[in-house]
Amino acid sequence: MDTQKLISSLLATSVLATLTLSAPAMAEGVSAGSLIENTATATYEDGEGPKTVDSNTVTVRVDELLDVTVTSQDSTPVAAEPGQEVLTFEVTNQGNGPEAFTLTANPAVAGNDFDTSVTSIAIDTNGNGVYDDGVDVILTGPETTPDLAADEAITVFVIVEVPAGVNDGDISDVELLAEAVTGTGSPGTTFAGAGVDGGDAIVGTTGADSAANGSLVVGLTTVDLTKAVSLLDPFGGTGAVPGTVATFTLTAVVVGSGSLDSLVITDGIPADTTYVPGSLTLDGAPLTDASGDDAGEASDAAGISVDIGTVNGGDSYDVTFDVTID
Amino acid sequence: MNTFKKALATAAFVASAAFAGPAFAQEASPVVLSGDVKAVVTSADAEGKETTQLVEPTTIVPGDRLVFGTDYSNTGDEPVKNFVVTNPLPGPVRLAPDADADLTVSVDGGETWGPLASLLVTLEDGSTRAAGHADVTHVRWTLAQIAPGESGRLEYPAIIR
Repeated sequence: MDTQKLISSLLATSVLATLTLSAPAMAEGVSAGSLIENTATATYEDGEGPKTVDSNTVTVRVDELLDVTVTSQDSTPVAAEPGQEVLTFEVTNQGNGPEAFTLTANPAVAGNDFDTSVTSIAIDTNGNGVYDDGVDVILTGPETTPDLAADEAITVFVIVEVPAGVNDGDISDVELLAEAVTGTGSPGTTFAGAGVDGGDAIVGTTGADSAANGSLVVGLTTVDLTKAVSLLDPFGGTGAVPGTVATFTLTAVVVGSGSLDSLVITDGIPADTTYVPGSLTLDGAPLTDASGDDAGEASDAAGISVDIGTVNGGDSYDVTFDVTID
Repeated sequence: MNTFKKALATAAFVASAAFAGPAFAQEASPVVLSGDVKAVVTSADAEGKETTQLVEPTTIVPGDRLVFGTDYSNTGDEPVKNFVVTNPLPGPVRLAPDADADLTVSVDGGETWGPLASLLVTLEDGSTRAAGHADVTHVRWTLAQIAPGESGRLEYPAIIR
């Protein structure tokens, strides 16, 4: 009779309760403080007809798991020169409750060619992934993140000073360590009453601390410029007489492991000589004398100029032009 | 229907009173259910041999294993028949993968029942997939009869999500 309906309605109630409970569950782990409540219901028939009886409800509270990971966000070593450099890290609360983490940057990592000095640790306040001086909040000691929700990640910048006197190609690692404020230790270490809602906090598999290295590589880049001349006189020899054509070759060799911006090679036309129009070349390819149409421009009065732009260590460029001796 | 609800409410009240005073148990509900939960702790000895213990769940975190138990007993003079115990799984746990494969479960809030292997989950696009342990919403046990004085225990293992 109505019993069936009644059972369905009871079940419906239970289902609702179950759904409500599962709502706060995180993708990775139930939130600390969640209550696990279990009740069994029995239906049966005795001589007097169908009956229903509930068990008592057992309740346990999910405790706070303390877990954290730190990862370097610099996929390749950061190109560095003496002065300020920024290393980027991500700190993720892998636990199931809100937790803050103490941050420590260690510039003296074994194997370093040189050690930087740590200027400050900053939080990516505006969330753009790039350190913005004056915008991103610099932490004051003891450097501690805000409370991170379960599964929340923040970007952290470690700002370091590269000392003078480093050599091209030198590397240096900086380690960022994050430790749960509640406590760290071997997995399973319990801090009674230190978790969410007065529950316990328990150290997870990460030990509630994590460290990662960010790398710097010194890129000191210079340009060696050499100039050579060859002569061809009107008689097919190499004498320097009026009418002799002098071909100048400017060779720029980029030395170092970094790169340089806006490399422009210029030279003047020597006195008592005249530029040979249309003789300017870059790596064997002719350039026009006019400005603005390609990398080169040349005139008797202003001399030659070739705008090569950004160059990398190991690159080499040859610029040639001709003059005639007046 | 209204009267019936009231009668039932009264019965439920008496039943809960019966927990407090076992003397009335026979009159109110001959069947008594008593639930408990234990945490499963696995430890290895010096030789690496693993032993598991059931302990009070003092500190529990996601990934931990729990065993929910329900003790039943028929305290009456008459046998009870068609004894069905239904246990909705608490939301923060999932059925452990090593639960008895023959256990009758539901993955749709108690609409349909069967061994897990026989059940399907309907996805948003209307297609279906085989149900997994994490889909289980309810477990159920059915006993044809419990004799007077007979008692037993029903358990299911779960893992905190």
